[in-house]
Amino acid sequence: MNTLHIFALFNGLVLGMAIFLVSSGLTLAFGILKIFNFAHGAFFMIGAYVAYTLTGQEASSLPLFLAAALVASLVVGSVGVFADLTIFRRLANVPHEYTLMAAFGIMLFCTGATRILFGQGVHAVYPPMAIGGFIDVGLPIPLSVYGLFIIGCGILVLLALEIGLNRSWYGKVILAVARDPWMANVTGLRVQRVKLVSVALSFALAGLAGGLLMANQSLSLDLGHSYLLLAFCAVIVGGLGSVRGAFIASLVFGFAESLNAVLLPTMPGIGSYALLILLVLIRPQGIYPELSQ
Amino acid sequence: MMMKRVSQVALLALLLCFVLAPFLVNPGLVFLAGFALIQIVFALSWNLLFSYAGLVSFGHAAFFGIGAYMSAAALRYGYDINFLLLIVACSIAGAIGAFLLAVVVLRRASGHQFAVLTLALSQLVVVLIGYSSFLGHDEGISAIPRPTINLGLFTINLNQPLANYYFVLAICLVAVLMMWLLVKGHLGRAMLAVRIDPERAAFVGIDVWRIRVVTFTISGAFAAVAGALLAPWGQIVTPDYVNWLQSAQPIFATLLGGASFFWGPVVGTIGLSALNYLTRTWAGMSEILVGASLILIVLIAPQGILGMVRDFARNRGRRAE
Repeated sequence: MNTLHIFALFNGLVLGMAIFLVSSGLTLAFGILKIFNFAHGAFFMIGAYVAYTLTGQEASSLPLFLAAALVASLVVGSVGVFADLTIFRRLANVPHEYTLMAAFGIMLFCTGATRILFGQGVHAVYPPMAIGGFIDVGLPIPLSVYGLFIIGCGILVLLALEIGLNRSWYGKVILAVARDPWMANVTGLRVQRVKLVSVALSFALAGLAGGLLMANQSLSLDLGHSYLLLAFCAVIVGGLGSVRGAFIASLVFGFAESLNAVLLPTMPGIGSYALLILLVLIRPQGIYPELSQ
Repeated sequence: MMMKRVSQVALLALLLCFVLAPFLVNPGLVFLAGFALIQIVFALSWNLLFSYAGLVSFGHAAFFGIGAYMSAAALRYGYDINFLLLIVACSIAGAIGAFLLAVVVLRRASGHQFAVLTLALSQLVVVLIGYSSFLGHDEGISAIPRPTINLGLFTINLNQPLANYYFVLAICLVAVLMMWLLVKGHLGRAMLAVRIDPERAAFVGIDVWRIRVVTFTISGAFAAVAGALLAPWGQIVTPDYVNWLQSAQPIFATLLGGASFFWGPVVGTIGLSALNYLTRTWAGMSEILVGASLILIVLIAPQGILGMVRDFARNRGRRAE
């Protein structure tokens, strides 16, 4: 194993965690709304723009960077509350295709609004000093500190969601509503409110991901699309609505993308799509199949 | 009865608008009208899948792209072939592509998996086009010459603006007519039965899987025809015509116009084109308006514009009695 492969594996891990940060919210929204939230990428982008407005091109300190990401997640989360109250709630009884269209409409609306508010320009954003640069950990190559930071964030989000959903009372309520809203309603759970909270949580995750991932890439209006497609792949392969599955699948796609760049440098971008098609044909229901009706 | 008469008149008026467009409006708008015609065929081909076979495809632009790139490459690199034959060849290529995809994908996936698989496959086509220098990588094929079509008795020179427009109009009308006959016929009935209740359809002896594959194939063929027309009309073909935002265009158009009506995508495409035209100078505003109108349509009138008109007419009829 030479340095190139170690480099590719590390990059794959970082990319996988980045994909997971986006797909975690997406899979949560799927569990509750039963739709692919096309608007997720747009909210990710809004989160990045909000954080950028707060920190500027390079955050002066790590706490500021984290605070900006948190504010981004709060802002996007409250947009999520608004979107659920005005749109998604009213669409509970129409066919899923129409909810999907509404999500697409929200995506277009948000992209347009961002274009007007923040302009068409492309901004370069750097991580703050504390997590910039490289660190030597005994491997043949120095690792990017920002990459390690993203890996840490990904693991934190996974733990928070897994423990929160499976061990806490409210998490179990969310799972119950996701699995069978009608039955949950009969047993006296406040289905509307639980849905509202989970949609807000999902959107907040998108905002958080935007705030954390904006560094080291050019902030532009296409930012949402690049992650969104990979996150879609991860949610499908992981099993619709499963956080665990999304995590595994995100890592798989992260590695696929980075190994693609090393092993097939003349054919960029083909790895993850080929893998997706293969995996869905082998196991259409996903790693952890959806349990709801 | 009244309703039927009104809609027939409206349809004829619409056709008349398209026929007289070159004499009524400036060349820029005529160009957009031709573009709208192409999108109409594309949207109708998607709606064959959605409303008549119950399949939601998010990668329909792949077949549009097959047609567009095939006809663009043939014209650009000077293969001497009658353009009408080229359109037929494109539609066959689109049909073959769609057939292969349907045979593989429909065996395993349905619902959401189907939607995402079609999306992924169409993105794969975009990626593959990016590799090919023959197809111009990410820049696409530009400066596509317009052909002269020799029909034996007379020739049509598509370099003349008027001939070009009427050629596109004629081909689109033929395509729309063929799709209309298709859905009103035996196959259309079978498709409808499959969408409404696949289980019962199977029970009365309809081979559900076969109907879906056939619908997908036909739909791919018509999408490729629309793409083939785009190459000489727009004179440039880029991967933007294959990506998922292009795939979303027919979805918008269909829902805006009304999915349960055959003419829904037509109305929707015209509405979308008008919206884009009116907001063309204000960057960002067109997205906001299209997005907001989609949300409003879904919230207020999930039946689309035509559904709204129908309900309105019904209410008035009831009041008149």
